[in-house]
Amino acid sequence: MPKGGEEAVNMAQQEMEFRVDMFSRLTAACFEKCIGRSYKDSELNVGENSCIDRCVAKYWQVTGIVGQMLGGAQFPGK
Amino acid sequence: MDPSMLASLSDEDKAAMDKMLETVQMRDSLRLYNTLVERCFNNCVDSFRRKTLDKTEETCVKRCVEKFLKHTGRVSLRFQEINGGLATPD
Repeated sequence: MPKGGEEAVNMAQQEMEFRVDMFSRLTAACFEKCIGRSYKDSELNVGENSCIDRCVAKYWQVTGIVGQMLGGAQFPGK
Repeated sequence: MDPSMLASLSDEDKAAMDKMLETVQMRDSLRLYNTLVERCFNNCVDSFRRKTLDKTEETCVKRCVEKFLKHTGRVSLRFQEINGGLATPD
């Protein structure tokens, strides 16, 4: 692969790893916030579903705020 | 890795070394971003009655970010002092 192509793949890999990492943290955070530990039921109830939806929305909002504060341009992700 | 070893590298190797440093720093910046989001979210957001942050939460997040960045800066400083100045800046 020519040098340019290799560079593109490396950058894409970095971005991919970044996104995967973010998704992972987001999932863990909202599980912690929304799902109680007694695990009375294996199904998600209505309350938990709403909580998850709102949690994801809020987490995403925080992502945007932090992105702006760190100087938007260099950070990928929308 | 000491300065004299770096000085004796070929141009090609120096370029590769620079590229490696850039890659590592980029990865670290991205990790910082994700760490900050997670940490400040966990510490500042506790209610999910709405899907948008309220003023208190937003302020908390901003302060959290600023504080963490300042903290990182200070840690860097001390680390460089202890480590003899070879640590990368930023």
